[in-house]
Amino acid sequence: MNPQPIDRYAETLARETRDSVSASAAITTEKRVDILARDFPDPDGLRRLAGQIKQHTLEHLDDYLAKAVRALRDNGVVVHFAADAEEARKLILGLLSERGVRRVVKSKSMATEEIHLNDHLAAHGIDCVETDLGEFIVQIDGDTPSHIVRPIIHKNRREIARSFEAHGLGDYDDDPETITRRARIHLRSKYMESDAGITGGNFISAESGRVVLVTNEGNARFSMAPNRLHLALIGIEKIVPRDRDLAVFLNLLARSATAQQLTVYTQFINGPRASTQPSGPEEMHVVLLDNGRSRVLATDCREILRCIRCGACQNVCPVYRQASGHAYRAVYGGPVGAVLSPLLAGERFSDLADLPKASTLCGACREVCPVDIPIPDLLLRLRARAKEEGVRTPASIPMAPFATLATSPALWRTAMTASRAMNHLPTAALPVKPLREWLKLRTLPEWRGGEFRKWMKKRKQS
Amino acid sequence: MDSATDKPAGRKVLFMATCLCDAFFAETAKAAVEVLEHAGCEVLFPEDQTCCGQPAFNAGDFASSRKVARHTWRVFSGELPVIVPSGSCTAMCGHGNALQFEGEADLGEARDFGKRTWELCDYLVNGLGIKTWSGRYEARVALHHSCHTRGSGTGAAMKQLLSGIAGLELREFGQPEQCCGFGGTFSVTFPHISGEMGKVKLEQVLTSSPDLIVSADGSCLMHLGGLAARGGRPVRVANVAEILRDALLPAPAPAR
Amino acid sequence: MSDTEASLFAALRETVSGLAGRTPLPDYDETILLASGRLGSGSEWESFAANFEAASGRPMETTADLATFLKEGGHLRGYCDPLLREKVGSVLQTAGLEVSYEYDRERYDDFAFGITRASGVVAETGTVVLNDHETSDRLAALTPWVHVAVLSEEAPVHRTLSDAIRAFGDCPNVIWVTGPSKTADVEGILIEGVHGPGEQICLRL
Repeated sequence: MNPQPIDRYAETLARETRDSVSASAAITTEKRVDILARDFPDPDGLRRLAGQIKQHTLEHLDDYLAKAVRALRDNGVVVHFAADAEEARKLILGLLSERGVRRVVKSKSMATEEIHLNDHLAAHGIDCVETDLGEFIVQIDGDTPSHIVRPIIHKNRREIARSFEAHGLGDYDDDPETITRRARIHLRSKYMESDAGITGGNFISAESGRVVLVTNEGNARFSMAPNRLHLALIGIEKIVPRDRDLAVFLNLLARSATAQQLTVYTQFINGPRASTQPSGPEEMHVVLLDNGRSRVLATDCREILRCIRCGACQNVCPVYRQASGHAYRAVYGGPVGAVLSPLLAGERFSDLADLPKASTLCGACREVCPVDIPIPDLLLRLRARAKEEGVRTPASIPMAPFATLATSPALWRTAMTASRAMNHLPTAALPVKPLREWLKLRTLPEWRGGEFRKWMKKRKQS
Repeated sequence: MDSATDKPAGRKVLFMATCLCDAFFAETAKAAVEVLEHAGCEVLFPEDQTCCGQPAFNAGDFASSRKVARHTWRVFSGELPVIVPSGSCTAMCGHGNALQFEGEADLGEARDFGKRTWELCDYLVNGLGIKTWSGRYEARVALHHSCHTRGSGTGAAMKQLLSGIAGLELREFGQPEQCCGFGGTFSVTFPHISGEMGKVKLEQVLTSSPDLIVSADGSCLMHLGGLAARGGRPVRVANVAEILRDALLPAPAPAR
Repeated sequence: MSDTEASLFAALRETVSGLAGRTPLPDYDETILLASGRLGSGSEWESFAANFEAASGRPMETTADLATFLKEGGHLRGYCDPLLREKVGSVLQTAGLEVSYEYDRERYDDFAFGITRASGVVAETGTVVLNDHETSDRLAALTPWVHVAVLSEEAPVHRTLSDAIRAFGDCPNVIWVTGPSKTADVEGILIEGVHGPGEQICLRL
């Protein structure tokens, strides 16, 4: 039996990478618990509330989306819809080309990762520079982000310093402050010389059409301020009903993601710049991206669309800590990715059907989720879907024989007693290969099948 | 003062030994029966019980798992509480069945069965209302909260009962929420990650220099104990039921 | 309406109309959101100042303090909102600092400080509120190493985030700034001043 691809990946992951991913994920997890407990009398109640608001919104998404679109348009925003990645890429490229845009700055956005926007624009002669420090490093390395909030959680300062040197960003210096200053200088001219800014969006209030965008670095603000065109690619699930609900999500998002009370730059964008404002976009476009979301909404895993992309489930996940994000072979890794990625894959579900198996179902992700997504339940439903659809993942253990045995009490009792023979076999002679593998790392207690039953029977007689 | 003895005798309970106890942990099952009897219960053991169905459930084979689950609640039919010396099997009979019987005609039966299924410590404290456990057990104990007891009454109940035992000292350790890496078939299909997770867990647990690791789940203990033994750092493990029983023994348990 | 828009809405309607027992919009009391520990027992300005400082911001109460800070830090040239000329700019000029009242994009690297008006602050989080009407130039609050948000006497001090959101009204683009621009992308080590200001000052007049 071959182990799962994620397990194989984890086994070959450099020890150093594993340790740094693991350590920083663990620290963030701890700080998150601290800040929530310190600040709120009932953090779990707050998580449940946020989950309900989002679930309500999703279950009425036709109404709220329509409302949001009306409000956006009233605010002077041009709204577009993209059914899939291809349509989104085409739309964005069209908008940029029509305006003769050649240089774009982009603020971190998972939706743009989903549609592989940078490569597409580059292929059409448009230079799209990532401005989030982590994403910038990912871009110059030709890499992909391995964590929703911390794209370079898998890299250490030495690798980054070598990469900066190779890309003409100064002689080798692995001081994080130097790295940051060099990126600052390099990116400032990019912002000022760009023709358009592309961002994602964290929330849209259906009530007011305000697009909420949070960054710690201020790069989203900077991607917009010098430009006349702002283009935001936003998933259709990012709607919240009212402005007041934003307080619920903003309070939870930063605390869950980075253990901050609030992200440094929190923007509420209601259209192009004000007429009195000299800097900022005169034109704002929002591209609302489906790309599989409406299909996910129709499944019994729709709760995953509540996700606000905080990365807390990745940080707390013991499997993610061992495997890192790239092991998941998709834009979204970790627990949320193990659910979302195969669902978004649509017809290619079977390619990623092994992801939901990458969990002991320990439930740590559910405990930290700011929108209370029952991730373990969704993992199980996806496992069941794979089974129903006859998708074969590596290392599937057939369960029908087990079910037969476990519904035949007499046979079960016999097997329990008979298996005692195993105790006398040397490990190498054990009949099942996975068991032999298992025993390389662990010992197994003595088989004592039937002993308790015998004791119980005797006790009843006496 | 042992408030367990204040309980009226003769309360009937059904005992689900679990497949792991059936196969490996006879001692845990015996201890659980004796603990229940000490708490005034009459323990009935339906002979036809096998397994709760969790292996198939976790593998996503809901059809096979439902078959086993139906067998199980038929074996444990009636109104009597079903007591299980495992948080994991209890969660399966409750939350797990509720999930896999969604849309099935017998969802109601699944729910009813789940409602009267209790993990042992949860039952002692929250079912029978026992506040303290007496006796003596000389040991430094690292209490591992198994993942499937998250959100249940088991964690607090276990802590409450163990805290009353003279000589028993609970030791704190880091990252208590961390899974042991077992996960049933996960440990077979993800052998590397499972082993590494177990090592992380052991590392944390062993920093508290315990005499033994205690948990409400034999599966976690089997994994941690097995890893520790193979890794050359053997450590004693015991199901909480065994500690509760042994604390009542006339002679103090020799632990140190 | 584009075909995509129409077919998306059709699909969404079909999906949600088939759902049994849809989740209602929960009613909630905003006290569940209140980080009361952060409000402290002093005035709301004091809570703001403490929280702003905790986020590495610098609350200040006199223009003289600001002049000293800028001079000592070697931030000698900068921009000031012309509406703040009298109360802030001229004081800094008298103190020997070079102040421009026009934000020149070409000089984005030349301005070491930028002084703009704040539209309010939030006590609970130590947040400065800026909006498009009152910020004389977005870039002036972003490109200089030191950004100074000047809070007038009349500007509101919101108690909580919820209060600040309620106050949006028809306010145009709003931005909340809680401390200097920061990152922890490299090995989780906190570095301030990534793209925007490395120093975030709130000056209350």
